[in-house]
Amino acid sequence: MQAILQIFKDFHKNLPILLMVLPGALGFILFSYLPMGGTLLSFKQYRYNGEGFLSSFFSSEWVGLRNFTFLFGTNDAYIITRNTLLYNIAFIVLGTIAAVAMAILLSEIVNKRLSKLYQTGMFLPHFMSFVIVGFFVYSFLNMDKGLLNSILERFGMEGISWYTTPEYWPFILILTNLWKSIGYSSVVYLAAITGFDRSLYEAAMMDGASKWKQIRSITLPLLKPLVIIMTLLAVGRIFYADFGLFYNVPRNSGALYPVTNVIDTYVFRGLKTTGEMGMATAAGLYQSIVGFILVMASNYTVRKLDKDNALF
Amino acid sequence: MNKKSRLSLLLVLVLACTAILSACGGTNKEQGAESGSSPDAGNQKAVELIWYNIGTPQKDTDLVMEEVSKYTAEKIGVTVKMKQIDFGDYTQKMQVLTQSGEPMDILFTASWGFDYVQNARKGAFMELNDLLDKHGQGIKETLDPAFLEGSKVDGKNYGIPANKELPAQDVWRFNKQWLDKYNLDIAGVRSLESLEPLMKVIKENEPSVVPFMIDRNYVPNLPYDYIIQNLPMAVKLDTEDFKVINILETPELKEALTTMRKFYQAGYIASEVATTTNNSDLTTTGNWFVDRPTTQPFADNLWSASLGYPVVSTPATDSMIYNWSVMGSLQAISANSKHPEEAMKFLNLLNTDVYLRNLVDSGIEGVHYEKVSENVAKNLDKSRDYDMPTFAIGNVMLNYLSEDDPSDKWEGFRKFNDEGVPAPLLGFNFDGSNVLTELAALNNAKDQFWAPLMTGSVDPDKYLPMAIEQFKAAGLDTIIAEAQKQLDEWRATQK
Repeated sequence: MQAILQIFKDFHKNLPILLMVLPGALGFILFSYLPMGGTLLSFKQYRYNGEGFLSSFFSSEWVGLRNFTFLFGTNDAYIITRNTLLYNIAFIVLGTIAAVAMAILLSEIVNKRLSKLYQTGMFLPHFMSFVIVGFFVYSFLNMDKGLLNSILERFGMEGISWYTTPEYWPFILILTNLWKSIGYSSVVYLAAITGFDRSLYEAAMMDGASKWKQIRSITLPLLKPLVIIMTLLAVGRIFYADFGLFYNVPRNSGALYPVTNVIDTYVFRGLKTTGEMGMATAAGLYQSIVGFILVMASNYTVRKLDKDNALF
Repeated sequence: MNKKSRLSLLLVLVLACTAILSACGGTNKEQGAESGSSPDAGNQKAVELIWYNIGTPQKDTDLVMEEVSKYTAEKIGVTVKMKQIDFGDYTQKMQVLTQSGEPMDILFTASWGFDYVQNARKGAFMELNDLLDKHGQGIKETLDPAFLEGSKVDGKNYGIPANKELPAQDVWRFNKQWLDKYNLDIAGVRSLESLEPLMKVIKENEPSVVPFMIDRNYVPNLPYDYIIQNLPMAVKLDTEDFKVINILETPELKEALTTMRKFYQAGYIASEVATTTNNSDLTTTGNWFVDRPTTQPFADNLWSASLGYPVVSTPATDSMIYNWSVMGSLQAISANSKHPEEAMKFLNLLNTDVYLRNLVDSGIEGVHYEKVSENVAKNLDKSRDYDMPTFAIGNVMLNYLSEDDPSDKWEGFRKFNDEGVPAPLLGFNFDGSNVLTELAALNNAKDQFWAPLMTGSVDPDKYLPMAIEQFKAAGLDTIIAEAQKQLDEWRATQK
């Protein structure tokens, strides 16, 4: 009795806060937990029977793990897994380094107006869809009229057929992704830096520490927890590739597949003609499970090394 | 200042909330309207049919459908609500809509959009044979029997094909402006190689003109009938033994690819062709010399009118009846339709009734078009608000002619249909459900190699062996064996 009363008391006391959580929690239940039942589709061969989704779902035949085989059945499996993982690792590592560097640079600019201008300029690409970015890149790389080939030809070199030459694409893709994402992530770090206690820097200056020393001994250590959280979150999505980046930017050019085919594009190309819901769900479930394992593993590692910085 | 900024923040929040709410509310309302197949207020007994059709959504669709409903409510007791989905989205959106059981009665399907055979097998459509006998007599009378026969899936009809051109024939289409300027003769043109001397003249004299206008979907014409379009398994057009072969290993393909490569290197083809999805910039400016569309009777008139400058064409292939040409446009009844009988009555009327067919196709007389004579009509300015894909909505031969059309246009169609020769695989539909894993891998291999090879963008000597290896690794031989098995079984039932 006492316990129940206590619960009510707590509830009453925290009511405003609980109310604040409510919309988010509802959203989570609606959009994240309810649809989870749908993952069962990955073990079924979904066929509609004309009576609506639920009825079709129950009347579809169980097929065990058969829907997963197409992800592993061929030698493409190695290529798409390698591409997805390596690109995402590159994005995480380079993205973090670049974003932190940019954030520090921005925070050191004395002229606030200019700082805002740079920030906005860097942030703008974040709002652009990859379809549009794809055309930007195309205007650089078009074989006859592209900017890069015009420059090459001016210097007496022969133009390169970019969209049929796979060697350059790892760099092009990483560069494009950095250009697009850096503004957003650097703002996160910049916000943290602005919040740091200025007196630490003042004290360091009194002791004659150079700018470089201040960054190394104050800013970076203070940023560490945030970097770890951001990286942990990114690791959870390491098995998801940005479809827009890998499909629209290389203009779906077949000759580039060895370096542009990732899990998401592979699934799309394999299933767009057959439209098998079960197989598409299987691919999604597989990505989620691997992501889940990776987050748990990396969080575990962080906790072993430094207990305070772990996410949970 | 502080107050002001707080106010603007509040404003932003409110705006965001309304945006989210209205987005949710909008879909809810729509769903409510869709599920309501209740009779119209005016017509107590009329049943509302929901009709999903392909095509860019038009401003006046609802207006015209109101007019249609008035007519059909009186004739057969139904009202019609049409929902249009644009060409590029149709397949994907319809896959989701049908799989989630969205209420609908009639829907467009074709070999190239919301795949007819595949979705018939998956159970998206209602079987129509009994309904056709009961309410579809008019369709059976007007439609060339080859259409209904050729669009059977596992022996049953699941869709009503539009009465239009039955065979498919590719032509070389020339931009007449350049033919005249350089006095070129197209009489001897037929094969791919025979284009070369003409393109050479254009390339040398008109640097800004693309001699051979193709996009990434181009595939050279080969004397083979494909099991699945654009996957490399086929039988020869003049086959006797119906042996399924890997088309990549045929000498004809090798030769065609070598020619394409030669054209590409000579600059007859745009250098970015392997990633080009449409050439509307070229067709608008007229800076092209030849391309290869699929024809229909009097197509030159139609093309010249829509392009705005004259073109002429000459055959590139024989006129043959393929599975995909028979299934070029069908209207099916959805498996979850609550009113299949009424839907069939409506389809029957659409395919036999001149007034209804023209109303759905061209809009309201006096608003969207006006009649010039008994069966000739002229578009009015308002027709821009109601531009329908004619081929998608039933019997085209009921349509009023436009002023430029020859008066025997539909006679020409009938003759064209009679002259078509059936391709060897007409009536055979491959069932991929045993090899889904291989098909997924095969589609990836196809996407990787098809466009670069077929357009000449890469060297076939180097890439063709790579493609063959990749297709084999993806399981091509398994699928060919499965196709051969099904084909042999099918032929046994045909005798």
